Amino acid sequence: MSGAIVQIDNVSKQYKGAQQPAISHLNLEIQKGSVFGLLGPNGAGKSTLVMLLCGLLRPDEGSIQVMDLKVGESSAAIREKIGVAPQEIALFPTLTAHENLFYFGRMYGLQTDVLKKRIDEYVNTFGLQDKMHKRVQTFSGGMKRRLNLIAALLHDPSLIILDEPTAGVDVQSRNMILEFLLSLKSKGVTILYSSHFLEEAERICTHLAIVDEGKLLITGIPQVLLGENPDCKNLEDLFLKRTGKTMRD
Amino acid sequence: MKIRATIFKEFLLLVRDPGGMALIFLMPLALVIVMALIQDAPFRDYQEIKLEVLLVDQDNDSLSHKIKRALESSGNITVVNETDLERANKLVQAGDFKASIVLRKGTTQSLKKKTEQLIGKIIRNMGVETPLIDSVEAPAVQLDLYFDPAIKVNYKQALGEGIEKIVAQVQSEWIIMELQSQLSSGENKYPKVKFNPGDMMVVNQQYASDKPKERLALNSVQHNVPAWTMFAMFFILFPLASNFIKEREEGSMLRLRLISGSQFPVIAGKFSFYFFVCMLQFVLMIAVGIFVMPSLGLNKLILGNNVFGILVTACSVGMAATGYGLLIAVFFKTPQQALSFGSISVVILSALGGVWVPVYVMPEVLQTISKFSPLQWGLESFTDLFLRNANTLAILPNTIKLMTFSFVTLIASFLIHKSRIIS
Repeated sequence: MSGAIVQIDNVSKQYKGAQQPAISHLNLEIQKGSVFGLLGPNGAGKSTLVMLLCGLLRPDEGSIQVMDLKVGESSAAIREKIGVAPQEIALFPTLTAHENLFYFGRMYGLQTDVLKKRIDEYVNTFGLQDKMHKRVQTFSGGMKRRLNLIAALLHDPSLIILDEPTAGVDVQSRNMILEFLLSLKSKGVTILYSSHFLEEAERICTHLAIVDEGKLLITGIPQVLLGENPDCKNLEDLFLKRTGKTMRD
Repeated sequence: MKIRATIFKEFLLLVRDPGGMALIFLMPLALVIVMALIQDAPFRDYQEIKLEVLLVDQDNDSLSHKIKRALESSGNITVVNETDLERANKLVQAGDFKASIVLRKGTTQSLKKKTEQLIGKIIRNMGVETPLIDSVEAPAVQLDLYFDPAIKVNYKQALGEGIEKIVAQVQSEWIIMELQSQLSSGENKYPKVKFNPGDMMVVNQQYASDKPKERLALNSVQHNVPAWTMFAMFFILFPLASNFIKEREEGSMLRLRLISGSQFPVIAGKFSFYFFVCMLQFVLMIAVGIFVMPSLGLNKLILGNNVFGILVTACSVGMAATGYGLLIAVFFKTPQQALSFGSISVVILSALGGVWVPVYVMPEVLQTISKFSPLQWGLESFTDLFLRNANTLAILPNTIKLMTFSFVTLIASFLIHKSRIIS
């Protein structure tokens, strides 16, 4: 696995009762230190792939390795090294922001002093310092997204997996999240960024893959891919060229 | 550390849920008080019930006077005189009085004559000369009892037997007196012996207990407080399951699934917290039984002497209730499924366990099935401790069953929860 932090080999997954596989014979490599954009329309299989990487779903066939550990055999060890911000707001609405972060930090096994330091650091970065003792249910969508992201970072993971991290947020929150991701990129942190916001992907991703109907359509460096497709002015053109213009629900 | 964090998190979630708090603490308190009040009368036996009885005394002679005195001295019956038989029948039929006792005119004289004839016949058969009494045998003396059609069978039986007992005592007294009277007639003069049938033999009734002087009778409070406390403890599944499923639906459970090694602390923390809540419920309900019930005119809850046994039983019931709640929470996928199944199953288990009516009044088939209800195990232990002053060894079989039930449900919950992390 030459420099690859994630290696996906011929992975397929079909849910019980589904007509089509969610992921079909997918091969993918994510290099260490890259910001990897996983792009695709709704229902393309992005979230399924994220769940497979975390070991929360078992592939029907194929294998996945994360940081040289095989998913399925070493899922617990893998989860210790990855931070996942799921698409849904995975927080307790009736707890305050501080209580949420403190609880999740404790569940990661962090000691009080380390946890306090990290919480302070991240809430300042994400501009939530004044809201720490407010209940999450009173937060705006953007504030919840930011908090959702912080909860994934508390244990200082080597690989960060973000599933639609900017879905449903205002421009300010989106900008704040993207700025933060760019700062992580400059520090060499590996990020798997699953989204259907192509402008964002173009702005921060060093590598990307476009998937649709569970299949890998294209993968590579954005500029190279655009160079290979001169008829496409940007990623959106490339995306539509590859996935078609049919509506997805 | 992780378990402690989960316990604290569960505490915060519960205290910020006023509905859940009310369901856990206020509803059971209201339930136990209401049930104890409602079931107070049915639980009181004949000895404790005051019955109002009409006496239509057309006889107005020694027999009717003796019956009246005996009934009034029982302490449970209030005798009200009524002269009009027809009116008395209407009052009893309307349920204003539980029964009426009708002594027709001349009842005393008829009974006396019947007694004289009987004794005279006996003595003459023995060859002793006695003054000849009317040789035409008098018919059996009749005393009429009319009951309210809605009277409970046991009250009817007790009242009827009570009257028969009084009449039997009067008869035996008169027989002895008549015997002495006829034997001492003529030349034979013997001093008469005053006879009281009650002096012959006393039936001593008491509860089989190490401390018989303490009042240990089963009453509404002794039954309802432990019974409905356990019912409330098993209803812990409501907040437990709804919080658990809410966490799953809202996504916070997903994050916990993404944290390595968090599953055991999540289950153990929830179990520990809700077990503690169960214990708190138990203490509150027992306190209500001791301090609140008497102020409502009910009996005071008597705990017996085995505090350690009570603690062991309460802990084992709490563990069983929490384990069951946890199993329901992890097994069902929607709150509707979990709460519907959970509440109905607890009602069934409690009915079978003797919470609503004692197991011994159930049909034999249900009595057999009730042996599998954890609430029956708990209730039996509490009854043994509260009413029979049982030692810890005596309650051990039931507490072991409860703890085994708890461990089985806890392990099943953990395995089901873990199996759903990866699909």
